[in-house]
Amino acid sequence: MFISLWEFFYGHFFRFWMKWLLRQMTGKCELQRIFDTYVGAQRTHRIENSLTYSKNKVLQKVTRVVQSEVDKYVDDIMKEKNINPEKDASFKICMKMCLLQITGYKQLYLDVESVRKRPYDSDNLQHEELLMKLWNLLMPTKKLNARISKQWAEIGFQGDDPKTDFRGMGILGLINLVYFSENYTSEAHQILSRSNHPKLGYSYAIVGINLTEMAYSLLKSEALKFHLYNFVPGIPTMEHFHQFYCYLVYEFDKFWFEEEPESIMYFNLYREKFHEKIKGLLLDCNVALTLKV
Amino acid sequence: MGLLSILRKLKSAPDQEVRILLLGLDNAGKTTLLKQLASEDISHITPTQGFNIKSVQSQGFKLNVWDIGGQRKIRPYWKNYFENTDILELAELLEEEKLSCVPVLIFANKQDLLTAAPASEIAEGLNLHTIRDRVWQIQSCSALTGEGVQDGMNWVCKNVNAKKK
Repeated sequence: MFISLWEFFYGHFFRFWMKWLLRQMTGKCELQRIFDTYVGAQRTHRIENSLTYSKNKVLQKVTRVVQSEVDKYVDDIMKEKNINPEKDASFKICMKMCLLQITGYKQLYLDVESVRKRPYDSDNLQHEELLMKLWNLLMPTKKLNARISKQWAEIGFQGDDPKTDFRGMGILGLINLVYFSENYTSEAHQILSRSNHPKLGYSYAIVGINLTEMAYSLLKSEALKFHLYNFVPGIPTMEHFHQFYCYLVYEFDKFWFEEEPESIMYFNLYREKFHEKIKGLLLDCNVALTLKV
Repeated sequence: MGLLSILRKLKSAPDQEVRILLLGLDNAGKTTLLKQLASEDISHITPTQGFNIKSVQSQGFKLNVWDIGGQRKIRPYWKNYFENTDILELAELLEEEKLSCVPVLIFANKQDLLTAAPASEIAEGLNLHTIRDRVWQIQSCSALTGEGVQDGMNWVCKNVNAKKK
């Protein structure tokens, strides 16, 4: 009750006068003050909040623009806030980078979502080739006898046709699996062989698909903002999403063997524990999660 | 009736808990069925490692639904979940001692697909007519659209009631 009352007064009254006072004292607007004080994700995050909660219609709109219009909107902000490009030369550059990060994050989610929504299609040659590529990367010395085969279980699919295992993650699940196997081949081989452990083993491919879901839902809930704002000085792309997925796969395997679960039946319990751990790391505004091998 | 006796009556009739095991082949739609029952989003489902559990309220019962992964590799673990099961949903397990007399409901899922076999054909294929030692029911449904799922659960509640009395 008291807190919400305070928030109401702060939002509607104090915030305005605080900003006015600071502006008179420093001769700078809130955006400029943020650039002076903060760096990295904290800077981008504060700029994003300042723009979103601004009462100025032009400023409110900029967090929702598309990447190609960023330059135009930076000029609009400078006009609106009376910022002299000669007196504050860095403003334009800093503002542009922040806007590219903010709009880029939103675009990345839309891109990832559109790939996820595409189901695996056996009639699509590209999909089939990608699936065969996964087999060859993971099993370089063993030939797959047939497209429909019990052998798929050796890399952790459930049945004799991997097609049915992609489900809610669509082709995104397969692209992630291939990306990890291609860019971290020796780690992938190591994790695959560990996943065949008689007691602590798990199904490599379907756990991979499950971790695609984790990466996807973290992106969707905006939990990846600090990480991506720190990690990518500009527009985050699919590549960065895949990189984060690789981090999850590598770290999950380590986590699983450290925890020594009684059996695979406890998977969801440990998955949730791991999920909480990652969410905790992502709350730190200096976070940048990279796979270190 | 005095207030006290009303209170006593309320206290003596707590929600009965029912344990339901959902078993079936991989990619049968068990998790989708579970999420449909709990009115959750079904668009992000991935294959189940281990199990999922959800509790739903239905007709005065608390249904604890266990959705166990269908992958061949983990089927040996199924028997760990057989203790105290009230309703069972697959035919292969009828000979399991721990599950004797447990009513069985077979969901003929994916009826939204044109290629789905009708419930009558499945009943014949599974020789359901030869089951004599328990009540059984086959229910066609689509976990995707939710059609038939509630009908199945109504049958569950009715038969648990009969069994427990």
